[in-house]
Amino acid sequence: MKSEKLKINKSLNQGLFIVGILLSWELLARTGWFPPLLFPRLTSVIKSLATEIGNGELLARLNFSLYLIGIGLGLAIITAVIAATLALVSPLISDWVQAIMAILHPLPGIAILPLIILWLGTGPKSIIAVIWFSSIWPLITNMHIGLRSVPTTQIEVGRNFGFKGIALIRKVLLPGAFPHILTGLRVAWARAWQASVAAEMVFGASGGEGGLGWFIYKKRFFMEIPSVFGGMIIIIVVGLIVERLCFECIEIRTIRRWGMTSE
Amino acid sequence: MQKKGLIVLCFIMVFSLVQLPAFAAPKEKIKIAGQFGLVYAPLMVAKSQGMFEKYGFEPVWLEYGSGGAVREALISGEADVGFMGIPPFLIGWDKGCPWKVAVGFVVVPIGLVTYDPDIKSLRDFKPEDKIAVPSPGSIQHILLAMAAEAELGSPNALDNNIVAMPHPDACAALISKKGIKAHFTTPPYLFEELSEPGFRLIIDDIDIFGHPFSFNVGLASEKFHDNRPVAYSVFVNVISEAMAWINTNKQRAAELLAPEFKLSVEKTLEYLEWEGMNYTTAPYGLMGFAEFMKEAGYISKVPESLEEIAFENVLSIVGSRSGEPSDIERLQSK
Repeated sequence: MKSEKLKINKSLNQGLFIVGILLSWELLARTGWFPPLLFPRLTSVIKSLATEIGNGELLARLNFSLYLIGIGLGLAIITAVIAATLALVSPLISDWVQAIMAILHPLPGIAILPLIILWLGTGPKSIIAVIWFSSIWPLITNMHIGLRSVPTTQIEVGRNFGFKGIALIRKVLLPGAFPHILTGLRVAWARAWQASVAAEMVFGASGGEGGLGWFIYKKRFFMEIPSVFGGMIIIIVVGLIVERLCFECIEIRTIRRWGMTSE
Repeated sequence: MQKKGLIVLCFIMVFSLVQLPAFAAPKEKIKIAGQFGLVYAPLMVAKSQGMFEKYGFEPVWLEYGSGGAVREALISGEADVGFMGIPPFLIGWDKGCPWKVAVGFVVVPIGLVTYDPDIKSLRDFKPEDKIAVPSPGSIQHILLAMAAEAELGSPNALDNNIVAMPHPDACAALISKKGIKAHFTTPPYLFEELSEPGFRLIIDDIDIFGHPFSFNVGLASEKFHDNRPVAYSVFVNVISEAMAWINTNKQRAAELLAPEFKLSVEKTLEYLEWEGMNYTTAPYGLMGFAEFMKEAGYISKVPESLEEIAFENVLSIVGSRSGEPSDIERLQSK
């Protein structure tokens, strides 16, 4: 009961904060201190958002972005699981994984785009590759650290209960590592968005079949600044929905229920 | 401790010395936003010949990758004057940017180049064949839309084929036959691509527009024009001077420009003298682009007269003939 009430309070608090920001945006735009070309009113942003959603363009772009991110992130998760599992099994591979993480993790995904374009051409394939590259390192890092951070005593206790192999992983290792894995997924999701939007903006890489990055890029060149804001708002809204509906639900059902986090 | 203090003191002294000359000569600055390519040769000439300095002004040279970026630099006040194609200028004008054309800037050949022998006209582009243009809304994109309307019936017929790439990247991609099938481009990239075996033009500027047009225009805000009349006049004068210098000194211009483009002097001279190159401040085609862009829905209105989009020095070049319009007046329309 208590946690339910706390949660409503938190939502209310955050909602009010956002409304406050939006209100001050509108007021600031109405002062006329900034040219409307650079800083449009919230109302004109909402109007253009409605038009772009109405004519289907924005949703088609969103759909395409989510499709690319889904594939890129999915591939990254599969690769990361394989790498983390191998690292768990063999100390030799663990060293390799750590070395490659140290080398490649600091490299922004967008930095490899010129190479990717040479190898894969311009198009969805290149963007998926950049998303994959951007999101794989936080995933591997967190899985690796998570699995390593499970105390030996817990593993021993699990063994004493008679768990072996897959059962030991499922009942002891995975739950123990889960807070880290969830963090990894959150960071990877954010990185995947950044990569897809950045890739389409820097190189406009996928033309007419582009996602939200291409939408924002195109609107920029036609000086439809309210639509540029509209594209950004859609990205924010999708981020909030996924955070609230996916990650928080998973968190509540897993690590909060298991008492692994205080909040 | 003492030693450290001494070192710091030395540093401060050295840095203040470096700063000194800047304080000594406070020259009025003009911030000029250009792009890459042979079109911008007059800017390079003005730079190397110290043409702004002659008038006691200090030029600040800024370079951007697209007309859209130049436009943003002008709106945000990062630049005083800037160069871009007529379409990006008109998009800004349509949205309320308080600026006008201060000089016409160079007539050059523009064309759509491919290496694919199967692509003979716009009809032959399949959905997966990519066409590189510098950015959406660029002059190349608008010309492609014009050609698409004439040949395929709709200005948007090829919109799903375009990819946005800066000229140098797209040129490299086309020559290595990677990723793109065609490139809508300008000199020197146009000439470089056409010099490759098997590369040819699908369509060019004259096929599409009917006659030559200014590839770029030099823009100034009304604020700059009204509040800094001397700086404005100097800008217009320097650009005219640089253009005339290129036209009368092609050989020397080639020697000067060759290292900038990493080309040989002979090659640069060949490019400067390529059929269709014309360094002139006279504007052509201002209204033709506006009319097409309004029709195709890229802008919401057409200027009623040239006065709405050009300053007096440009208006005087075009003139206003009593009775039938003069040749140069006629050349403003498509």
